[in-house]
Amino acid sequence: MSIDLLWGIISAYATLHLIALGHSVFEKSGLLNLAIDGVFFLSTGVAVFVACSTGSPLVGSFASAVVASGIGLLLAYVMTVLPISHGAVGLSMMFIGYGLGIIFGYPVRMFVGGIATYAYTISAETYVTLLAATLLVSIVLHFLLKETKLGIMIVACGENPAVATALGVDVLKTRLLAAAIGFALIGFGSSLFPLLWQRYWDIRSYTLGLGWLAFTVALVAGRHPLVLIPVSLLFGGLYHSCILLTATLRIPVDVAKSIPFIAALAAMIIYSKTRIGKALLPPTSLGKVFYREERAI
Amino acid sequence: MKFIILKRKKPLKGGKPIISLYSIVLGVILFSLILQATSKNFLDVLRVILMSFTSPSIVLDVLALTMLGYALLLSFKAATWNIGAEGQFFVAMIPLIYLLIVKYPEFPLPGLMVALATLLAGIMGASWAMLAGLIKAHTGVNEVPITLILNYVAYYIVNYLVYYPFRGRHVYGYTRTDELPKHYTLNVYLKLSSPTPESSPLYPVLRWAYDITYQLTYYVYWLVVAIATALVVWFILSKTTLGLRLRALGHNPDFLLASGINVKKYYVIALAASGFFVGITSAMYLLSYAKRLSYPIEAQTAGYGYLAILVAWLSLLELKYIPVMAYVVGALRNAGIALQITGLGGIEQSLLIIGTVLFSYSILSFLSEYEIKVMK
Repeated sequence: MSIDLLWGIISAYATLHLIALGHSVFEKSGLLNLAIDGVFFLSTGVAVFVACSTGSPLVGSFASAVVASGIGLLLAYVMTVLPISHGAVGLSMMFIGYGLGIIFGYPVRMFVGGIATYAYTISAETYVTLLAATLLVSIVLHFLLKETKLGIMIVACGENPAVATALGVDVLKTRLLAAAIGFALIGFGSSLFPLLWQRYWDIRSYTLGLGWLAFTVALVAGRHPLVLIPVSLLFGGLYHSCILLTATLRIPVDVAKSIPFIAALAAMIIYSKTRIGKALLPPTSLGKVFYREERAI
Repeated sequence: MKFIILKRKKPLKGGKPIISLYSIVLGVILFSLILQATSKNFLDVLRVILMSFTSPSIVLDVLALTMLGYALLLSFKAATWNIGAEGQFFVAMIPLIYLLIVKYPEFPLPGLMVALATLLAGIMGASWAMLAGLIKAHTGVNEVPITLILNYVAYYIVNYLVYYPFRGRHVYGYTRTDELPKHYTLNVYLKLSSPTPESSPLYPVLRWAYDITYQLTYYVYWLVVAIATALVVWFILSKTTLGLRLRALGHNPDFLLASGINVKKYYVIALAASGFFVGITSAMYLLSYAKRLSYPIEAQTAGYGYLAILVAWLSLLELKYIPVMAYVVGALRNAGIALQITGLGGIEQSLLIIGTVLFSYSILSFLSEYEIKVMK
């Protein structure tokens, strides 16, 4: 395996892993996230815009995390305090994300062009640090969800927010925290797509559907921070290798690009039809309207 | 001061359509404010949006979105969210291009061939949507991510076909199919002289009337098919057992289950029926407007498959409001193009306005069943 291929797979893995991890934390609190692909694209636009403005890819990544976190807080707030469809709100935010992503990213494409000089340095140090960081974040989140009061509160909100409220959990505050953490990870992970993995940004990035692949990764891994590691590696490796297949095996580029999506569908079926699906059940109240009579907002 | 949400005891004043109206107004204001942040003048944006409602070029969008709106209504009524119209739209073009452009460009009975290809386009759209229905029915996975992922698969399959087997011979180096032979196109040209003189005070009105008439005549076949689609969808939903079951699936699937009806089968049927009409729309789009496909295909349309979601939702899933909302959404799309946001074209300009209007609708829609009371 060439070193470039290894770096590419690590980049793909880290990107997918962080997005799927953030998505999982958000959904663990019972909030359905259909905004994921739009927020992915918005985050890529913000990342390249800030990275090119400040000259620092790390600042670009953190800016993405902050903007995505803001979107997550807005979604969590309206989905919790209002009796509205999570699906409709998420989908509409997906479109807003596509539109805003273009507004942020287009000036970069127009006036800067290539962004490779503003991207992360290609070095063993970068990739090893990233790999270690993603593994560490997974372990920390696993510990947070399993062993801490906050984690138990997040899970309780996802399983039965009414019971959680009766037990004294502030569902709104808990979901806002889950959204802030989750969407920050989505934003940071998405920034790696243009600033580390692909090292370019284009309007058409939104047609890549990488957010939906991360959605599938999270679904198949049962939103479990540790199970996400091998699943993200599998899909990240597949996605990256598919691009290489076009060059090495002369497979038409469009056929190669469709492989991860077909694999995603296959993975969804396998997940649902086997014991994996039963072992890694989604939160019971995922996507359900949380309405209490006479709620104060 | 506290705001309290209560179940509505009296119906909303002005009925449910008022929510769609508020959503459009709020969405447009949000859109304009976002554009103001990118140094576009708020009032200029509003002026362009208002002007787009009278643009004759809107006819194409209204026809496409009306048909797609009805197509999506069939599945949305069953609470089966077909977000994959975009993919079904392109996949349905495969039999059309193969039969009319690649295989039989000179078939002696063009009318018959067009009818057959259109039917096959419908079947292709239905099959693609049915795939999502089958996955949902047998695995229980939500249809939204499935239909969305299938959109990407559809993009890549059709892109491959346009790049390789369907690539034309008379395309001057462009990556696209040959043009649809003239005898297969579905257009009628208005044989009426344009209004004169330009100095007349009535000229702008006459010119507008002429342009609208020209457009309606040009797409008259499509108009007939759109009206037929509306009637067929109305008939299915209002007069058939299938329609009753689809509506019951949307309102109370437990009732269907208790009645011993195979609910899974109706998920598949809802999506297949929806996909069929998406396919017919796709055929009309190709035969009446596009005439060919270019690579990459996802850049070709205005994202009609996604815009139609907006049409269906804003119509509150009511048949009679579909054409009205198709008109509104078509106008908003045209406004997006007229605004030339940061030099972008096609679907990119529509995405933000779709999002802001849909977001407003998603938030405000709860007001049809709930009310907010202010407590001191």
